[in-house]
Amino acid sequence: MVKTLISMICVFLLLTFGAIYETNFVQRQFGEFHEVLTELYQKVDEQTAVEDDVYAVQNNWLDKKRVLHIFIPHNEIKEVDLWLSESATLVRDKEWKDAISKIEVLKELAEQIPKTFLIAWENIL
Amino acid sequence: MIVTFIRTTVIFITLVVVMRLMGKRQIGEMQPFEFIVTLIIADLACIPMADVSIPLVYGIVAILALFLLHQLLSILETSGNFFKKVISGKPSVVIDTNGVNISELKSNNLGVDDLIEAMRAQGYFSLDDLSYAIFESNGKLSPLENPNKQKTLSSVPLLVVNQGKINDYNATLIKSNNEKITAFLKEKGLSLKNTEIMTIDGNGRVYLKGKNKKYAIENFPLTEGVKW
Repeated sequence: MVKTLISMICVFLLLTFGAIYETNFVQRQFGEFHEVLTELYQKVDEQTAVEDDVYAVQNNWLDKKRVLHIFIPHNEIKEVDLWLSESATLVRDKEWKDAISKIEVLKELAEQIPKTFLIAWENIL
Repeated sequence: MIVTFIRTTVIFITLVVVMRLMGKRQIGEMQPFEFIVTLIIADLACIPMADVSIPLVYGIVAILALFLLHQLLSILETSGNFFKKVISGKPSVVIDTNGVNISELKSNNLGVDDLIEAMRAQGYFSLDDLSYAIFESNGKLSPLENPNKQKTLSSVPLLVVNQGKINDYNATLIKSNNEKITAFLKEKGLSLKNTEIMTIDGNGRVYLKGKNKKYAIENFPLTEGVKW
């Protein structure tokens, strides 16, 4: 009985602290990513962005995604990778209008993905 | 993580409720919640293992959540009769001194043929071979042999009437028909509608149970040439 209770408490604590850490970590990572994307968006909007600006965002994302793979379905990470690559090509070719729409999608993803970790009816049902 | 945990809990509770509502038919030598854990743990382990797009954590969290729920229910089950009854159900006495208890069978979503099948698996072929039969909460049949049980059985009894309905196929096996059976029942003071169970073996030995009546052993006049 004591062993059972100890194992239950351990698992409960592991899950509780794991959940708190995961939620905070994902929110923070995507919060930072969103800020970087907003800066890029402004530059693209002002038509002052260069290819290196997108690469900087890409590198920032590469650092984050290594750990994010633990918590987020890999398909969603792949989606961000693809939109970022497309944005880089469009900025290089100075196709500002298309680049803006791609970055808007990325910003939306950065806002929506962390929301799937919150306790909400739409996530549970 | 927390969403996975809540989702696992919701699915687990739904399955426990559904399994309890299904009665003892779906369970085999396990308590309902143990059966559920066995049922879903394999899938939980396999999905993240086979699908590389799903983080391993999703499977691990769900398995740990199941472990936690299983342990919790085990503790609740041993803590008192009320929880045991709610979580695992209670044993059902399906045969007593009056014979087969149809209402008890029905409350567990079982039929007379299920009872006969479970008895055969235990080596009993006639319904009067047992004084008591209990379906345990894990779906297993516990029999108490009738001290007056026939020592040798030369023919397996056939279920001819089951809750007011004649089984035509079984009736033809003993070269009988609706008219003969109805006439026999009338002779014994029963109508077909009021007959819960009637089994006949190849020697004409009958187990007869009317509604709200104690069972009786009778003799059915078989036509010559019955080879059952």
